[in-house]
Amino acid sequence: MMPLILADPGEEAVIKKVGGSPEMKKHLEDMGFTAGGTVTVMNTIGGNLIVKIKESRVAISKEMASKIMV
Amino acid sequence: MDKQLRIALAGNPNSGKTTLFNKLTGSNQFVGNWPGVTVEKKEGRLIVDKEVILTDLPGIYSLSPYTLEEVVARNYLIEEKPDAILNIVDATNLERNLYLTTQLTELGIPVVIALNMMDLVRRAGDSINVKELSRQLGCKIVEISALKGEGVADAAKAAIEAAKNGKTIPQHSFSGPVEHALAHIEEVTVHNLPEERQRWYAIKLFERDEKVVESMKLSDEVKAHIEQDIVAAEKELDDDAESIITNERYVYIGNMLKGIYKKKGKGQLSTSDKIDKIVTNRILALPIFIVVMFLVYALSMGTSIADGGISIGTFLTDWTNDVLGGAWLQDGSRAILESWGAAPWLVGLISDGILAGVGAVLGFVPQMLVLFLMLCLLEDCGYMARIAFIMDRIFRRFGLSGKSFIPMLVATGCGIPGVMASRTIENERDRRMTITTTTFMPCGAKMPIIGLIAGALFGGSTWVATSAYFIGVAAIIISGVMLKKTKRFAGDPAPFVMELPAYHLPAWGNVLRGTWERGWSFIKRAGTVIVISSIVIWFLTSFGSVNGKFGMVDDLYEDETVVTDEYVAVVADRMGVPEDEVEPMDDSILARVAQPVSVVFKPLGFGDWKPTAATVTGLVAKEEVVANFGIMYAYDDADGEEELEENGDQIWDRVAEDFNAFSGGHGKLAAFAFMIFNLLCAPCFAAMGAIKREMNSAKWTWFAIGYQCGFAWVIAFIVWQLGRVFAGGVNVVGLILALAMLAALLWQLFKPYKEAQKLTVK
Repeated sequence: MMPLILADPGEEAVIKKVGGSPEMKKHLEDMGFTAGGTVTVMNTIGGNLIVKIKESRVAISKEMASKIMV
Repeated sequence: MDKQLRIALAGNPNSGKTTLFNKLTGSNQFVGNWPGVTVEKKEGRLIVDKEVILTDLPGIYSLSPYTLEEVVARNYLIEEKPDAILNIVDATNLERNLYLTTQLTELGIPVVIALNMMDLVRRAGDSINVKELSRQLGCKIVEISALKGEGVADAAKAAIEAAKNGKTIPQHSFSGPVEHALAHIEEVTVHNLPEERQRWYAIKLFERDEKVVESMKLSDEVKAHIEQDIVAAEKELDDDAESIITNERYVYIGNMLKGIYKKKGKGQLSTSDKIDKIVTNRILALPIFIVVMFLVYALSMGTSIADGGISIGTFLTDWTNDVLGGAWLQDGSRAILESWGAAPWLVGLISDGILAGVGAVLGFVPQMLVLFLMLCLLEDCGYMARIAFIMDRIFRRFGLSGKSFIPMLVATGCGIPGVMASRTIENERDRRMTITTTTFMPCGAKMPIIGLIAGALFGGSTWVATSAYFIGVAAIIISGVMLKKTKRFAGDPAPFVMELPAYHLPAWGNVLRGTWERGWSFIKRAGTVIVISSIVIWFLTSFGSVNGKFGMVDDLYEDETVVTDEYVAVVADRMGVPEDEVEPMDDSILARVAQPVSVVFKPLGFGDWKPTAATVTGLVAKEEVVANFGIMYAYDDADGEEELEENGDQIWDRVAEDFNAFSGGHGKLAAFAFMIFNLLCAPCFAAMGAIKREMNSAKWTWFAIGYQCGFAWVIAFIVWQLGRVFAGGVNVVGLILALAMLAALLWQLFKPYKEAQKLTVK
């Protein structure tokens, strides 16, 4: 298990666990970041990520991405 | 049926909801706010049936209680109980969109799905078995293309039909342990609620949704009882209740789609992804952003095309100011009124007061419209979301959000739409911070002040104007960093997560409508306040009490029985001027009020009644600062002389002389302090009104205005007192105080910041 920030760009990864405060966790899960789902890092800029989740592209900060384990 | 039908439009952000709403209602829209919050509420009458009201809910991913939008949407659905929900679903992102659908179907309200962007799915070679999807979800599905307007009327008709006699029963179920707990919860808590809503309440109780638990007013005994059931399910499934529900919804949708959604290609980069590879590239992102912003600024507010620039906005604004505002409105109305034989005071009030003020606002309108048009374009094509992302890591350091950039850019034109633009920032703390600091940017109406000071005392040097922008940006950064460390702005950090819509060509209908909505709201807001404040200022400068008699000061001064030589001596003494320089204005209400207030500005170097009066009226409208200088430094344009230039260049000599006189020879320094104070202090009435509306709280409004004035005073104080160390004539007490304030500022700026410790994985 490693945080999403370390995942290889362009490679599909399976989410193992979502952490963070209850609000943050719920918001991430609502947007599709659920355990068992797949996520692909599309682009990084200054540690922040653009990821593909379900069929949408989501921009996510370094802090939040570090709470998503893949 | 005589009851009016109400249908709610619900869907994810970026699902084409706004486009569909516009197509369904046309021009029959009313825009307002949801009660108590600053989330925009739109309602309209359906084109296909004018008797039916359609309410546009905020774009949401879920009905959880964590964001303002979600709370607003679910409160409406639960408390107002619309007759049907029209759920727009983006077919290209089916899984995530249906996640909301599964929640909507539990509410006991008939749901009709408008399946948007099916054309894109087909073009990609994918296929969706719509019939089967409809059967599995238990609600009717209408295929539409919101952009092209295809199927829109059918969707509306289906929703009306469902509202009249439809019923949606949720088809999905959760895993064994969850259903077991839900059955228990239903049994002990919700049996007295209408049958069709029991399931939704039971699920929310299972999720320990605070707002629902509160509203149900359950006894402690019952709470403890259901808590047992929840804990049992959590233990069995090894996760918290909320996540269990979320996960199971997604699993259910995933399984359902297996036989329904056939995907052809996989893993290919879309066009939008390719654009993003360049636009959000780690090296190119900032340069591209700067070029785009430069273009936006140059086109709307830069150098006019008449002067060799590319700005259409400035060109139209110049025309409006010179021809429409100055010549037609002001001079034209004066000529007409005089030909009717109207009393001089009435001509003054209407032509110089109201219409001059209205003209000043009208002048801004073309620039604002061009600016709004371009911002709407950027928003519609998808770049705006990227801006927030690119700027976020920079702005985050100053306690602001990446989305704070847009309000600040807009505020360089006018603070009112700038403050209004802060609405797109979801996090309350970031939004309040942005509202408080965004008017530090020098707006269009502050430019003449800068022009006047630069021209009168600095020989027209361009660094004065440059420094004004620098001061504005620095004030925002310093305030952001300082305020972030205060209790008021501390709190949960808001890490950035935001969906980036796929790039697409702008839909002109949406863009033009958005431009007009923002523009009209600006005209209404600014217009009403400026008309009122113009009347007030005109009254304050024209009327006063002269030697015990109240009336128009100009008239009273012509009466030698009122203005006796002794009286002139008294006024000259009060104002500190020679007797032959006493003017009618000196007895105006404004001068009388400004004189004692000027004490406040003594420590800033401009404690004279004239700059004080200008500053005070600047709080009403910044345009009035130079206009008032014009009046106070006795520029007379009534006798056919040319009108006072925008930057007041006819009175530069007199202004310079006066500033040098009352500041003991430090005219430049005093003028610079004056400019700083006027740039940073509370904005005009209209912008303060916008602040009040967006803060939606009297306490926060006063905080913002108080902070702005206090900050302006402290900075001007430091500049004036420290400046005199170099200019000569140090005031020891003032210098010590200034150094103390500077030290306090620096301490607040550089003291360690504690927020990061709160952001830990639980």
